[in-house]
Amino acid sequence: MNISIKQLFGRRPKSSNIAKQRLKLVITQDRMDVDDRFMTRLHNELAEVLAKYFEFSVNSVQVSLKQKGNSYVLVADFPYKKFHDMNVGQ
Amino acid sequence: MGKVIVVTSGKGGVGKTTSTANLGTALALLGKTVAVVDADVGLRNLDIVMGLESRIVYTSMDVIEKQCELSKALVKDRRVDGLMLLAASQKNNKDDIQPAQMKAICDKLRTTHDFVLVDSPAGIERGFSNASAGADEAIVVTTPDVSAIRDADRIIGLLQNERIEPINLILNRFSPELVGNGSMMDQADVLDILNIDLIGIVPEDSGVITSTNRGIPLVYEDTSPGSQAYMRIARRLTGQRIPIPDLEHKGLLTNIVNWFTRKR
Repeated sequence: MNISIKQLFGRRPKSSNIAKQRLKLVITQDRMDVDDRFMTRLHNELAEVLAKYFEFSVNSVQVSLKQKGNSYVLVADFPYKKFHDMNVGQ
Repeated sequence: MGKVIVVTSGKGGVGKTTSTANLGTALALLGKTVAVVDADVGLRNLDIVMGLESRIVYTSMDVIEKQCELSKALVKDRRVDGLMLLAASQKNNKDDIQPAQMKAICDKLRTTHDFVLVDSPAGIERGFSNASAGADEAIVVTTPDVSAIRDADRIIGLLQNERIEPINLILNRFSPELVGNGSMMDQADVLDILNIDLIGIVPEDSGVITSTNRGIPLVYEDTSPGSQAYMRIARRLTGQRIPIPDLEHKGLLTNIVNWFTRKR
């Protein structure tokens, strides 16, 4: 028998909580879709600025919004190869 | 100058027309002058919900095409002072009207009425743009289920883009029993997701069905929970501060005490 005590006696999670969690996820995505162009622009401009300081491939850059609790978090992932030597240009 | 308020939802069937009919009537019962406007061109229903369907002669389309004056197209509700209906054309479709034309009608109506309530069609297309074109404020109606809330969130985003504010939420068809046993999201859950102000909670009330059958808005009958909820929302729209009662399921004793101590 592979049924745990929890499965036998534990209560199923309330469906209203499941509804709320599912909604939060899907609405975050909906809101992001509305701002698709904004995200592309942000991605490009961030890459432009950071290219002055780091060497990286633009395709490896990922910028996304995630929901953390009640707020949104901007996550920018820039795997860089090396720093530019800032003294050279001066 | 009166206020123009669009009543909208995104999803169909959540109670926009019922809410428009009841709030319009409730505001008139409170002594305000009110025009209710059906913006659902091609699928009009505000007339039949209010019981005025046999008296429609002209529609907003006739006003736009200059077939008649706006004042002539307004149907006066004889049961209460100060309530008028502007019906939508049933033989046209939403693309036959431009947002600017709807705005012009709303701007004219606000010079003669304290409140102009525009009943928006479901959806986010032209019908919605027309309905919201002349609006200062919005009421978003939702029920506590996932599809209605998701669509409400989309509509709220569009209203915010149009700089329409405040945007107030009516939580409709709320069931204290289902919330009590964890089968329905409560108002805190819904507000946490939608993040706008709540103007009222309307409990599930079978009286809505019978009042719609008869064409007599629920607010004429003052004892049902739905009627009382709409009257409270109407009072809040007029600026009165009325707390939103906790509708969650309580014990029998609490209900009895509440019944004896309630204000009539």
